[in-house]
Amino acid sequence: MANPTNNVNAANPQPVATLDDVKRINPLVPMKARVTRIIEETSDVKTFCVSTIGEDGQPVAPFRTGPGQLAMLSLAGVGEAMFSATDAPDHLQISIKKVGLLTEQLHEICEGQTVGIRGPYGNGFDMEAMKGKNVLFIGGGIGLAPVRSVVRYCVDHREDYGNLHLIYGARTYDDLVFKYDLFETWPKVPDFKVSVTVDKGDDNWKGNVGFVPAFIEQLHPSPENTVCILCGPPIMIKFTLGVLNKLGFKPENVITTLEMRMKCGIGKCGRCNIGSCFVCLDGPVFSLAQLKMLPNEY
Amino acid sequence: MLKAFPKDKLTAVLDTLAKQATLWVPSVVASVSRFAPYGPDREVQLGANTVMSPKEALFPATEKIYEYSAYGIDGEFTPVDPSVGPQILFGLRSCDMQGILCLDDVFLTRGYVDDYYAKKREEATLVTLGCVTPGPDCFCYAMGVNPAEHEASDAQLFDLGDAYGIVARTAKGEALVSALAAAGLLVESNKAPLPTGDFVLKVDAEGITEKLQHMFDHPLWDAFSRKCLNCGACAYICPTCHCFDISDKKRNAHCGVKIKCWDTCMYAEYALMAGGHNPRPSKKERVRQRFMHKLRYFPERYGKLQCTGCGRCIAKCPVNLEITDVIQQVREAKIDG
Repeated sequence: MANPTNNVNAANPQPVATLDDVKRINPLVPMKARVTRIIEETSDVKTFCVSTIGEDGQPVAPFRTGPGQLAMLSLAGVGEAMFSATDAPDHLQISIKKVGLLTEQLHEICEGQTVGIRGPYGNGFDMEAMKGKNVLFIGGGIGLAPVRSVVRYCVDHREDYGNLHLIYGARTYDDLVFKYDLFETWPKVPDFKVSVTVDKGDDNWKGNVGFVPAFIEQLHPSPENTVCILCGPPIMIKFTLGVLNKLGFKPENVITTLEMRMKCGIGKCGRCNIGSCFVCLDGPVFSLAQLKMLPNEY
Repeated sequence: MLKAFPKDKLTAVLDTLAKQATLWVPSVVASVSRFAPYGPDREVQLGANTVMSPKEALFPATEKIYEYSAYGIDGEFTPVDPSVGPQILFGLRSCDMQGILCLDDVFLTRGYVDDYYAKKREEATLVTLGCVTPGPDCFCYAMGVNPAEHEASDAQLFDLGDAYGIVARTAKGEALVSALAAAGLLVESNKAPLPTGDFVLKVDAEGITEKLQHMFDHPLWDAFSRKCLNCGACAYICPTCHCFDISDKKRNAHCGVKIKCWDTCMYAEYALMAGGHNPRPSKKERVRQRFMHKLRYFPERYGKLQCTGCGRCIAKCPVNLEITDVIQQVREAKIDG
């Protein structure tokens, strides 16, 4: 639709990086990398493809990330921040919404520009534990970015997972990210249902209008042998959890990602703790059951 | 028999050690009591602990991580060598040695190492001094620290009255003692170390971590936070506080230095995210975070309290928000509020 397919079929997600991988590439100094491609998703979201140069002179992904893992992206002289990353063999993909000084500056850069990158950080989704189960993906706004890395993994390992269902919503049609996946790639995947809603309809949109939690209630997904992957703005998550509870989803089968301010990414700077957990190490992926055991401070 | 050097040989001892490494000694610099590199005019103060903790020798308040440049679309990142060469920290109290163990837990464990701390720690020799006269704000005994000696140091000094006894505990300590022996500064002594005097400040921290596991929403945090100024003084003088920021120091529009610098959870901007969400929006959450971190979260994660009873934050808090009071009130509080 609005954007061309971008290496989706070429994606080859690997298991979460091992500790040895992380130690090798993970001091506080970023690697020099280059933005090889920029995809304009919406008026305030862009996807950046970031590569380093391999020994054969060809672009390669700076490191491999598992679904849900993070990368620290920096712009010299401007700042550094943590983002959810999706990998492909020759690049990392990071989708960024304009929300502050750094992200505004990132939106100004051009293809070919140098950035700094370090990672991968975080625990990522436990794709092994989800094997044999149906997966319900729920995303809101830019919250589809971490969900997308799981979707891509499930699509690439289609035989390992049961029925897939994505429920996604954004404010308007124009705010829907990854339209090429939503309307072209994923609907063609066997046993993959894609349900999209917008908060506010317009002439571009013929589908459902309404908030995500109400849409879920209307679609009434079954909790039977199903894991739910949920990412989005806090208000959407709050109301969605109520609906999932009503539908019978158990807290250990509802998995989400948390956002906290992060600086070092390796559990040293102390910034992203929630109780005795550090989001950069022990998260960002937590089950609802785990969250219930943490102080409510996120 | 104990190896010892007479107190009137202290200068000769320090001169000998200063030839081997950067020697940090407790002293007063520009009216501030702190550990500072030894030099000919440095007045050494072994009688009382310093106001500033010695953590800055291993974890500087501001430290360069890498230099960057960005001309046009091209940029470069050049690491800065974290090594500062051999260092000797002389005359640490047990509370501060315990503080370094807390820093070790943070910077050297849990799968990742902070190279900037690790290099300095590796190159440092730590010489502790047994405490004879606890200060009015000291309570290390309540935090499980032995004021008379600390088993984790490289070498331990004991006050023998007219001399300091010295015992090496590690290879680094042996090397240091051997150097003093080679310089003819050591004698044998059969005197016993002076005992540690009584603590003025009494507090019992037994079971505090377990009690706090049920007190996240307790109204006590409102009461504690009411008078806090969020000035952050407590964190900057604390031997265990380790939070840091990573920020830019620009030289000009094209290049600059990335620095790692002390930061504190007392500041409102500390946890503020791009987009405006702040998980700790008011003083209550920030004060709770400070005490919960020291007394509950750190013990849960690393198995030891993140307070060593040095008493600095008690001495310097402008509004007398004292950690011993917090411990006492938490102990007395009813869990249901």
